[in-house]
Amino acid sequence: MKKNILIVDDSESIRELVGNSLENAGYHVLKGINGKDGIEVLKSFEDTVSLIITDLFMPEMDGIDLIKEVRKDSTYKFVPILMLTTESQAEKKLEGKKAGATGWMVKPFEEGKLLRIVKKVIG
Amino acid sequence: MENLHSVYLEEAEDLFSKIEESLLLLEKSPDDSSLIAEVFRSMHTLKGSSSMYGSNKVADFVHNLETIYDRVRGHEIDLTQPIIDATFKSLDHLKKIVQSPDIPDPIDAKYHEKLTADIIGLLDEYSSGATPARREAGSIKNTYHISFSPNKNIFSNGTNPLLLVDELRDLGSSRVYTNINKGLISKNADPKECHTSWSLILVTEEDENPIKDVFIFVEETSKILIEKIADVDLLILPEFTSKLPPNDLNSKAPTLKEIKKWISAIPQDAIDRVADQLIVSDDLEDGEKDEKLQRSHSQEEAITSIRVSSDKLDELMNQVSELVTTQAGLSLYAENNFDPVLNAIADNVEKLSRQLRDIAFEMTLIQISNLFRRFNRVTRDISTQLGKSVKFLTEGGETELDKKIIDSLADPLMHLIRNSLDHGIESREERIKLGKPEKGTIKLSSYYSGAKVYIQIEDDGRGIDAQKIREKAISNRLISKDDDLSEREIYDLIFMPGFSLAKSVTDISGRGVGMDVVKKNILDIRGDISVESKIGEGTKIILGLPLTLSVIDGLLVKVESTSFVVPLVDIKKCFEIKREELSNDFNELITLEDNKIPYLDLRKEFLIKDENPPEKASIILLENEENKIAVCVDSIVGEYQAVLKPVGKYYRNQEFVSGATILGDGSIALVLDAYKIIARKIVKQKKSA
Amino acid sequence: MRSIEEEQENENEVMESYLSFKLDDEFFAVDVKKVIEILEVPGITSIPLSPDYMAGVINLRGKVLPLIDTKVKFGLDPIEFTVDTCIVVIEIEVEGEVLQIGTLVDAVLEVLEVPQTSIQPSPSIEAKYRLDFIRGMIRREDDFIMLLNLDEVFSIQDVIYMQEANESMSSEELTEK
Repeated sequence: MKKNILIVDDSESIRELVGNSLENAGYHVLKGINGKDGIEVLKSFEDTVSLIITDLFMPEMDGIDLIKEVRKDSTYKFVPILMLTTESQAEKKLEGKKAGATGWMVKPFEEGKLLRIVKKVIG
Repeated sequence: MENLHSVYLEEAEDLFSKIEESLLLLEKSPDDSSLIAEVFRSMHTLKGSSSMYGSNKVADFVHNLETIYDRVRGHEIDLTQPIIDATFKSLDHLKKIVQSPDIPDPIDAKYHEKLTADIIGLLDEYSSGATPARREAGSIKNTYHISFSPNKNIFSNGTNPLLLVDELRDLGSSRVYTNINKGLISKNADPKECHTSWSLILVTEEDENPIKDVFIFVEETSKILIEKIADVDLLILPEFTSKLPPNDLNSKAPTLKEIKKWISAIPQDAIDRVADQLIVSDDLEDGEKDEKLQRSHSQEEAITSIRVSSDKLDELMNQVSELVTTQAGLSLYAENNFDPVLNAIADNVEKLSRQLRDIAFEMTLIQISNLFRRFNRVTRDISTQLGKSVKFLTEGGETELDKKIIDSLADPLMHLIRNSLDHGIESREERIKLGKPEKGTIKLSSYYSGAKVYIQIEDDGRGIDAQKIREKAISNRLISKDDDLSEREIYDLIFMPGFSLAKSVTDISGRGVGMDVVKKNILDIRGDISVESKIGEGTKIILGLPLTLSVIDGLLVKVESTSFVVPLVDIKKCFEIKREELSNDFNELITLEDNKIPYLDLRKEFLIKDENPPEKASIILLENEENKIAVCVDSIVGEYQAVLKPVGKYYRNQEFVSGATILGDGSIALVLDAYKIIARKIVKQKKSA
Repeated sequence: MRSIEEEQENENEVMESYLSFKLDDEFFAVDVKKVIEILEVPGITSIPLSPDYMAGVINLRGKVLPLIDTKVKFGLDPIEFTVDTCIVVIEIEVEGEVLQIGTLVDAVLEVLEVPQTSIQPSPSIEAKYRLDFIRGMIRREDDFIMLLNLDEVFSIQDVIYMQEANESMSSEELTEK
């Protein structure tokens, strides 16, 4: 069984880039275009999502709110969440961590690094 | 990659026009915060994707623009016409350079430089005086003591602790001491484990947060202590550095206590000398102190309960059961040596280790409400999907069970609830017609009874028609027309492989997992399952489960030199016989209390070379719902409370062995799975028939 | 700040360590990184009806450790216990999980330090052992020492297949797990 990974980002090009890398590495990738959409996708896959990768700034619902919303539901209490941040968002990282994120990745990152981190988090 | 790049370009185009649109509106109403947020977000997205697609020049350029709008957003600066003008110019430029991000055209390159300078100029112009406090705080140097003891398994999750130490060193100037646990670096040390810890004296302009940031990934598993030991740079004070041991592997790291002693010994004027070189803002320092106070306060409050990884609990259980085993050895030895003092000590150790074991057990139990909650939403979702209206109730969520049992209950319970929703609860219209409440009810409850935990799934749906089950079982040749079955026996038929009642295979519960699988899952965790139902009123499915999987009450028996443990719950009775009573029975049937019962001689079954079988043998009568089997062993040693351990994947085809346990003398006894033993006999009987 | 850094791999002249041991008169070696410890032979509890090379289980400080008769696995006669007989406890990866197993050998010899470059590919001429079991060979004076591919030698798949072939079980029982 392929593991499901949900990538939430308002940038289509990032969704595609991250999605492609993960799919090539043998994961099944689900995509959300903002926090709200991400949560809908997450719930429609019940408890089968192994990892959530989320951008922080997004319209409708941003990444921090997404993390908070996800952690509210006991089903997803332990689903790892990785934040995609940029170099300039040191405080956001902490905010995300407080909301319940598992870790972060700084954009830009290479495919190798992405896969290593994903592997580290969900094996 | 080609494809992806065009996705990026299209997206950039979209973002440009979005930004332009917002900017045009902003010219009319420059205070509209939602428009400003929109522009900021679009720039942020553009920066992120540009950096990922390798256009660093584009990303850096957008970064500066983004910074302006971040400040506008934070009300640090106003959105002025010059900023808007510069943004428009930048957008036009960006449209060009996203196509060829290396900016090969020298005219473009020059313009790129000019625009970058303009934007930085704008930033500087508006920043001066806008964010002074933060800047100044940065010039204050503090000295921290950091001790970092990684969990010994840190390597196994791919973290290199040295990189973390390097990251800390990047924050300022530092002294690093490495503590290697020399006691463990022996031939027995596992090279995959980390037995090194570090302590650092770090001087940095940063506050505690960036230091903590470094440890974000490892803070749960490692011991990390960060303490500010001075609000000046101690590492430039010779009065301090002269005390520090040399920075090599042989010197012992100074303890925090030692360091503090040295600091208090530094004359005040020396500290003032260092401090005077810096601009210290007093109120800011106070604020920081307050914050620190608050933090330590909240830490104190949090300590009433702690989180421990389940791995650690498993390890604790392992150690405790080893202790219990060792203690059994001690008691045995004491008993044989008739030493009253030793006896008393052994008794005490026994008492203590039992208490310890009980406490450890309790820690591995978790409330079943953790599991119940999961079904709440799923029930709602599925019932909506089916167009049914259902009330979901839970009761007894505080009942505690072994975590392993709870984990393996998720699937079977899910299946049973789906069944209830799909086949049990009638449609709204049907319920109204029947005069039932419009909303159906599914109740999940749990309670203790004796040494077992019961879980019930109860619905007020249409119930199961025993007559129909019977008919279906007859047509499937599971039973014959003449079989006289009790109601319970009939309901048990639905757990037979291949038996499915649903007329049509629906999306919900028709996923190829039948009730037979549910039953197997429950049997695997040594539980049982039964059904009660009334037509038109509802169905109740009851699961009976052991409290824990790690301990089993069993009977210790011997066959040749090997010890086996048979679970007591499966044993009906024991008998002693003469071996010759078995040997001349051709059908492998033995008469016990006037009943002929099929028997299994473990000596023969396990192909133990028949050198000198003892004259006497013991018979254990095993019983499950359907069958009685007599099992012949050499001797019965006695009752035994076995701490169950897995025998591992290599023996997964020897499924009649459900685990192993370690006896008082350190030897291993194999725990037999009574159901599988019975099944072996049944298969054999069928083959010979 | 970087959350997770690249690991640096600097491979110039890398020395590797191998633990060598004997099965009959042949020499074999395993990567020391995979070796947990070496034990004397304690009391062994054999598990009925398991394949010949599954030698049983032992109590390793409270853990139940499966034991493999390496000689049977290599098509030699079952091990005979002497004073030199040892159990080499190794760690292998099976189905994505790291497991410890004990392997019975006739005698443990020494730890060899060899440059990575001196490891030769195993010649296919001497196909005495299954080729996928051997990772390469080290020349030591007149002898060749065979480096074992542990994950392959002790893979569970192999255990299961061999058993399926050996044992006549009903298909129903086999599909259960």
